[in-house]
Amino acid sequence: MLFEFDPDQRLWQDTVRDAVAKECPPALVRSVVDGGADPAPLWRTYNGLGWTELTDPTEAVELGIVLEELGRAVDPTPYLATMTQFAPLARAGTWAGQSGAAAFGGVNARRDQEGWVLEGTARHVLDGDRADSLAVVTREGVFVVPAEEATAVRTSVFDPLLHVADVTFAGVRVTDDARGTADPERARHLALAGLALTMVGACRRILDLTLEHVRTRRQFDALIGSFQAVQHKAVDMHVAIERARALAYFAMMTIAADDPRRRMAASMAKAAAGECQALVFRHGVQLFGAMGTTWENDLQFALKRAKAGELLLGGAAEHRALIAEECHATDL
Amino acid sequence: MRLTFDDDVEAFRAEFAAFLEANLPTEAEAAERSRSTGHLPEWARRWQRLQFDTGWLLPGNPPEFGGRNATVVQQFVHLQELSRRRIFHSFNPQGVGIIAASLLSFGTEEQKHRWAVPILRAEITAALGMSEPGAGSDLASLRTRAVLDGDHFIVNGQKVWTSGAHDADVLLTFVRTDPDAPKHKGISVLLIPTSTPGVTRRPFAAFTGPEDKDFNEVFFEDVRVPAENLVGPLNQGWRVANGSLGHERTLMWLGDAERMGDLLRDFHPSTPLDKDWYATLVMDRQALNLLGSAALARAARGDTDVPALSVLKVLGSEASQKALERALEAAGPDGLTHPTTTAPYYHMSYDDAFASWFHRYARSFGGTIAGGTSEIQRTIIAERLLGLPRR
Repeated sequence: MLFEFDPDQRLWQDTVRDAVAKECPPALVRSVVDGGADPAPLWRTYNGLGWTELTDPTEAVELGIVLEELGRAVDPTPYLATMTQFAPLARAGTWAGQSGAAAFGGVNARRDQEGWVLEGTARHVLDGDRADSLAVVTREGVFVVPAEEATAVRTSVFDPLLHVADVTFAGVRVTDDARGTADPERARHLALAGLALTMVGACRRILDLTLEHVRTRRQFDALIGSFQAVQHKAVDMHVAIERARALAYFAMMTIAADDPRRRMAASMAKAAAGECQALVFRHGVQLFGAMGTTWENDLQFALKRAKAGELLLGGAAEHRALIAEECHATDL
Repeated sequence: MRLTFDDDVEAFRAEFAAFLEANLPTEAEAAERSRSTGHLPEWARRWQRLQFDTGWLLPGNPPEFGGRNATVVQQFVHLQELSRRRIFHSFNPQGVGIIAASLLSFGTEEQKHRWAVPILRAEITAALGMSEPGAGSDLASLRTRAVLDGDHFIVNGQKVWTSGAHDADVLLTFVRTDPDAPKHKGISVLLIPTSTPGVTRRPFAAFTGPEDKDFNEVFFEDVRVPAENLVGPLNQGWRVANGSLGHERTLMWLGDAERMGDLLRDFHPSTPLDKDWYATLVMDRQALNLLGSAALARAARGDTDVPALSVLKVLGSEASQKALERALEAAGPDGLTHPTTTAPYYHMSYDDAFASWFHRYARSFGGTIAGGTSEIQRTIIAERLLGLPRR
């Protein structure tokens, strides 16, 4: 196995990075939070760039590259939920240009003469309050329904850019056509790896900002970045990011190749991203000193995106438990 | 990115596996154990020579130096096959991996045939004389002095931590030849046969046990070394030092990946807490393999990214150390037993690989201290990769 981007992937990474720098700069992210700006035009830009077409599993690494860069920029659109949670559950080609969210649990489907009735509340649904369509995972299958059929209540969360909602289905009628054949277990692998790469991207942003700070901040007549205590913490951040990034792209590779290690790899990706964010958050804020704790510092957005990721879809400890169970069955 | 190797690489792997299958010494043949990294029992010499003669010792080398001009990727799968079976291809690892490699890079044609080939063919063994009592992490401050006197150098001084020196035939020795030059610019490298009058070797035991003697102090008292034993140009020894360690660096992470792989097989977690760290070990090993193979892909393109290799060393050595610490502590009072074995007997490995948990844990500090401490590696990464200012 050679774990390195091929030339096309490197070119794609450069293209995506340039586009993200241009279309989703820190000022725009700030304006969404502080000025109430609408991220919808940005979502249309991503559509225009073709990024929402990356739904074929064979393109998982390319999708991962977009997710990492958007994690770094702390993307304010529903791209992550649409591409890694909704899309793998929905039928391809039925939702072009639309956004989607996934309700993984809490909803039951009951069959009657006319079709199906959905009942229940899915909690903590990413972008559940603003997606155009919802993919609802039930024991009877996955149903894709227009969002207006359900009632979503956005939760106030610490990440001001994140949309999380409780979505209630009060006897929502759907026809049998709305029932898909997607395997929620497999869909979950992409959701985990995608969230992991988003967290890795956010962690890279934290490290970038921290390095910028310690390269310019002077104390005791020296740049603080020249102190070993500071340098070594920064290195530990870098090593944690490299580790998490490697495992996240490995998961994307196993998804792209439909490799039997994908289940294990997805849990490793999420666990490593979780461990990474804990260290990077802690050291990042610490190295920034008091300046890292202000509202006006953009560091907060990446910190919160990274930490929020740990709280969704199972944290590091939960995934380590899965890995310990799986590892004897999976020959890495 | 790819999850599999090309067919030609797999064919290479299969050919090597077949070689091992047909030629590996038996347990009875390998009964005499190697007592240090400079000591080769007769069977280990035959084993190494066979690999040399068949081009399997260092496949990347040309045939005259024990290889078959293999690609970097082929060299990787070669090491994978050895590590999977816990087979050492040489029981004089520093001789084969560092010293012969340095001679092939920096030595004259005459030196390659006079010294490198016998080391590779296990006719002689070699040890590496770098560190001194006052020159560890700050290696460039070394003070062992060599003065040219006609056609000989006269060497005076002391080395320490010289692994296997008491059993070795020759020492690749870093000496100061210009005390007035800046410290990196006055160093040269000499091949000093250990039988030369004035060379005194004093092995001393590691904290794992009084019989565990691999380290040496080596004293040089008016040692006369022929000028032809100078390796590389005079006062250019620092380049050789970087090159010597560089040889090892690209694949050094494999040693840590191997230790972690061994531990995955040797330790069976039972409590939830043990399972939790076991999962961390699984992840660390996989991440190291992934990042290591990326480094390998770069090396295959002729690009050696030294600070990225430092990342591998920090990650690999610290992860395996942490895992061994947990394995020892998880053993409870059974972990007190020492010496003992904690894995099946592997006749083609050093005994360290299956010694007591304490022994295995204690030995892991070689990884975080030797070859540039973790602290030195972090400083290299900070300054050269993260662009942080120097002090």
